Amino acid sequence: MSINDLPVLSALRTKMQWHQERQRVLSENVANSDTPNFKPRDLVEPKFDRAGGVAGSVGSLAMMRTSGSHIGTSAGGPTFAQDGKGGFQTRPAGNAVNLEDQMLKVSANQMDYAAATSLYGKSLHLLKTAIGKG
Amino acid sequence: MADDAGDFARSMSIATSGLRAQAGRMRILSENIANADSTAQTTGGDPYRRKVPTFSSELDRTLDAKVVTLGRVRTDTSPFRVKYEPANPAADAAGNVKYPNVNSLVEQTDMRDAQRSYEANLNIISATRRMIQRTLDILKA
Repeated sequence: MSINDLPVLSALRTKMQWHQERQRVLSENVANSDTPNFKPRDLVEPKFDRAGGVAGSVGSLAMMRTSGSHIGTSAGGPTFAQDGKGGFQTRPAGNAVNLEDQMLKVSANQMDYAAATSLYGKSLHLLKTAIGKG
Repeated sequence: MADDAGDFARSMSIATSGLRAQAGRMRILSENIANADSTAQTTGGDPYRRKVPTFSSELDRTLDAKVVTLGRVRTDTSPFRVKYEPANPAADAAGNVKYPNVNSLVEQTDMRDAQRSYEANLNIISATRRMIQRTLDILKA
């Protein structure tokens, strides 16, 4: 069993990857904060089962219905969460990016990432203690 | 770029595209402000016409992300301000001078907006940098 197979570490790694990807999506939103007809996006949060595996559709892209005439799929929700609770914040040019909202998300994302990395570091430290080097 | 920092590098590149677009917007706005009183060189001719920056979102295939670019610079088609100044060399036969359709108050407001978006992109870059730093800190743990 390699270190990467440990449930805690693999869950943390998935979470860190998710934060990385979310940072990219959020920076897309901010960069396009003045582009007409741009709608901000966000990522669906990963859910973990007891074994540290990912429950749900994060990690692998799930099938989605793109047309009403397709046969519906039972598994998998959307990967992207639709952002923007209020349509009232859409500007006349059709841009719905709220900079304050996005900055809040960026800082939350950054802090959660910091928490995940420090947890990862602590878990590694635990392993070091176990093999008698810590 | 290293494979490991790939995603963070992408975030930074997207934010950089935002910085570039906003800087271009500020350049056009300052052009407008500087030329707010530029009349025509010839008698009865048209003065400086206000320029309007546009943004467009396009898919960068190397980054696989939607970056922002400064689109075509349009001109404002609204009418010019007309003043009666017979002594002005740019005046037409009736003594009217056309002044640019630039309202410096509007330009200033737009400038503040551009500044705000620029700072937001800068914030993204520093947040991403801090995240990379946290990743490197795992090594030290």
